[in-house]
Amino acid sequence: MATLLFWVIAIILVASALIVVGARKIVHSAIALVAVFAMASGIFLLLNAEFIAIVQILIYAGAVTILILFALMLTRTSNQNETTNPNSKGWGVALIVSALVGAGVIFAITFGRSLVQLGGLATAYGTAKACPMPTNNVVYIGMLLYSPSCYSYVLPFEIASLVLLVAIVGAIVIARED
Amino acid sequence: MHPTLTHFLVLGAVLFCIGLYGALAKRNAIAILMGIEIMLNAVNITMVAFSFYNPVKPYSTFLTGQIFAIFIITVAAAEAAVALAMIIAIYRKRNTVDVGEINLMKW
Amino acid sequence: MALYQYSWTILFAPLLSFVVIIFGTRMWDLASRHRTAVSPAGAAHGHEDGHDHDGHGDGHAAHGLDDDDDPKVARLSMGARVSAYLGIIIMLASCIYSWVLLLDSTGVLHISGSPLSYSGTDVFSYNWGSAGFLAPYVISFHVDHLAIAMLVVVTTISLLVQFYSQGYMENSAGFARFFSYLSLFTFSMLLIVFAANFLVIFVGWEMVGLSSYLLIGFWINKREKPVEDRPQPAMAAMQAFIVNRIGDVGFVIGIMILFWKTNTFDFATLGGSSSQGVHAAFAGNTTLLTIAMILVFCGAIGKSAQVPLQIWLPNAMEGPTPVSALIHAATMVAAGVYMVARTFPLFLASGATAFEVVAWIGTITALYAALVALTQTDFKRVLAYSTVSQLGYMFVGLGIAGAGDPSLGAGPGMFHLFTHAFFKALLFLCAGSVIHNLHHATHEEVQDMRKMGGLAKFMPITAIAYFVASLAICGFPFFAGFYSKDTIIGLAHTTGFNIIYWLTLATAGLTAFYMFRAYIVAFGGKDGKLFGFWGGTYRGVGTPKEAPLTITIPLCLLMVACVAAGYWFGLFSYLTPGAVDLSFQDIITDGLTWIGVAVAFGGIFVAWLFYGPALGWDKVNRVVENNAVLRFLNRLTLHKFYLDDLYYWLTQYVFLGIAHIAAAFDATVIDGIVNGVASGVTGLGKGLRRVEDGKVQSYMYGFFGGVAALAVVIFVLFAFAQGGVKLW
Repeated sequence: MATLLFWVIAIILVASALIVVGARKIVHSAIALVAVFAMASGIFLLLNAEFIAIVQILIYAGAVTILILFALMLTRTSNQNETTNPNSKGWGVALIVSALVGAGVIFAITFGRSLVQLGGLATAYGTAKACPMPTNNVVYIGMLLYSPSCYSYVLPFEIASLVLLVAIVGAIVIARED
Repeated sequence: MHPTLTHFLVLGAVLFCIGLYGALAKRNAIAILMGIEIMLNAVNITMVAFSFYNPVKPYSTFLTGQIFAIFIITVAAAEAAVALAMIIAIYRKRNTVDVGEINLMKW
Repeated sequence: MALYQYSWTILFAPLLSFVVIIFGTRMWDLASRHRTAVSPAGAAHGHEDGHDHDGHGDGHAAHGLDDDDDPKVARLSMGARVSAYLGIIIMLASCIYSWVLLLDSTGVLHISGSPLSYSGTDVFSYNWGSAGFLAPYVISFHVDHLAIAMLVVVTTISLLVQFYSQGYMENSAGFARFFSYLSLFTFSMLLIVFAANFLVIFVGWEMVGLSSYLLIGFWINKREKPVEDRPQPAMAAMQAFIVNRIGDVGFVIGIMILFWKTNTFDFATLGGSSSQGVHAAFAGNTTLLTIAMILVFCGAIGKSAQVPLQIWLPNAMEGPTPVSALIHAATMVAAGVYMVARTFPLFLASGATAFEVVAWIGTITALYAALVALTQTDFKRVLAYSTVSQLGYMFVGLGIAGAGDPSLGAGPGMFHLFTHAFFKALLFLCAGSVIHNLHHATHEEVQDMRKMGGLAKFMPITAIAYFVASLAICGFPFFAGFYSKDTIIGLAHTTGFNIIYWLTLATAGLTAFYMFRAYIVAFGGKDGKLFGFWGGTYRGVGTPKEAPLTITIPLCLLMVACVAAGYWFGLFSYLTPGAVDLSFQDIITDGLTWIGVAVAFGGIFVAWLFYGPALGWDKVNRVVENNAVLRFLNRLTLHKFYLDDLYYWLTQYVFLGIAHIAAAFDATVIDGIVNGVASGVTGLGKGLRRVEDGKVQSYMYGFFGGVAALAVVIFVLFAFAQGGVKLW
């Protein structure tokens, strides 16, 4: 069952990604991008990462997609019948490069040795106290993000909030009409 | 057969490649951005797969991959916002979003 | 000794004169011409010495722009006249001093306490550096008997020519420039005379070449006359300089070979017996020394217009006649002879071969020039070829004395140089007088003998002077040439060079013939008095008159010298200690002498027969034109055996061809390499520019392209490591 689901989702995912990069009209690419995000969310569910799956739908399929569609709307050029998503001149080189990169990564995946085989897993806890056993994924992620008493990622969280603040202000400033 | 770690990793690699191709070979700035988003999603899948297929079974007490994924999503969203704002600003001035035509430093 | 110690003033006096004229009196002359000129003269009344256009717009007065394209002035300004006086007075002082030196050193006068020894004395020496490799580079001047003999010749002829030029170059706009060049030339020639080492003599050598160039090309704008086969003076000047330089290549290489072995340039050291002398340095390697001395002689070939470098001297006649008299008769061309005489010990050390080369080249030149002079129609060219021929005699004298009888030293050659200077200068000055007078009569430059004839009745003094000089050059008994030329011919016989003897004897006959041909055709004629020697039909236009005093006084003085110069019998022992002097009795009683005299008489007789009352110029011409063989011979000698044409062809096609090839090589290969490097760098730059062009996509290409490349490398390594790629 899990296998079948995986393959279905994977195939739709890869097909949508190919449509994203291959479509002639950019709006088609944008729609396929939604499918990519949705399928990625499905993958996350398969991996028991419910929180991430929902966040993916919320943020990517929701906000980012809308952002992209708005941007497409605001940057329309007048030619309706031509391709709005052309390839650049060196697309063959790009094909080869990306194929080789992919082959390299896949090669490393299949023939590489994992750290466990090599011996030894580094633990990140150090002297900190581990979080108590969580009940479900969301609680655990909450503990890992916010907890002041057990090992947590509070500091990166705060910094991420700063990044978001800067992004908001920056986007407004850049896109302002003057 | 159960999907193993290798399946998810290969899926991530393939998606990364496709996103890379999109980022390299496209002329529309927004299409490049879409390629980048695909790449980021591939990385997310890889991260979460690593966190799931942690050798300590059955359920890991260790969700670093997922936390990493959250942060990646955060930053990707912020970056998408700023990038699209820039594209709109450039579009206002140059009336094009073709990166081949935006090649003068002079504003 | 003080008398000799101050002799460097003779050397520097003409230099002083040159400087003062160029920077002082000539400027005065040009400035005063500005004030009197009517038309707006251009701004280029330059302050450079050299070839600026003197007096553009003034005085096309009495003569107009004549046949010699020389700008004229109606009256000489004060500055110009002072230039002439200055030059003449300085030269007079030098001349008197030289004569005093001569009289004192021969023992006639007793002014200085101790007479000059044979080795002479250094009068000036300046070391450029005392240490190591700079030590041989010394500027030093030396006076000894040979130098004094030459000094007398140079200063006397120079004085007379400067005096003569006052009259000849009157009304010329470049008057002051002419005198400055004459002074420069005299200075350069004296540098050669006073030189004590090869460096100084080479400097003087080149400077006389320069002065010759300036003086031959004095009439800057004069055009060529193809009808009379006469080139532009500017071209003739360039030819003279370049041909001289060709000889100088050999000269320099010879000097270098000598320096390489001995590490010194000094004549005295080289000829001496020290370890730096050529005897020691070239011991066992006389072939190299012979080669070096022959190369040194090459310089003399160029300077003294011997075959094969004789082409420049006839064309040098394009310069004004005083120039021809001074430079190309008496002094500069004799520099080669002087140089060989100076380096006589070096030639001696190399054995007889070098001397034989000298003698043979002299003989061939003498004969060649005499043959060519037979049919020339230009008055000055006959004299030019005669000069070449007599220079050949001088080299024959030097050569056979060195090869056959070294005890005589440089005596015979130098004796002929001494006498030849006087009578050749006289011949040229007479020619100049003729040209000057005909110029006044016809307002044209007349040098063609066919337009002369019977001039003796118009200009008697010139005619007598020319006659005396012709007698001297033919070797008429008791004139100067009799003693000097017949000595050489007799020496050839006594030292056993029989072929040279017969050839020089034949040349003496030819000399007599063409000299009297020139005399009779110009001054006499078929229907003249005194058996055709005096007067006759004048084939030109106008009525010539005798020349003014400034021209005729030098002629008279030189006439005296033509006779008297031959009587210095003590010259041989004066120059070389232990040489056997000429003695009057031996000369008179020697049969060989009278054979030479008979040959000369024969030549004179044949010339009188052809051009005198018997046949006459026109009849001879008709006979020659109608006979094929004679016509062929006539053309052959008239065109100088086509050597000039050969050289012209060589220059045009061979030398210029090589030059064109070299130029093409330079333009394509060398420039190609340079430009190729430049364009390679530019191309590299253009290519490298794309590495950083601001396009993020290309940066990503590079980034991920590197990853891809790395992936390929890993694949390959893995394949090798595992013995095959495992596909999944």
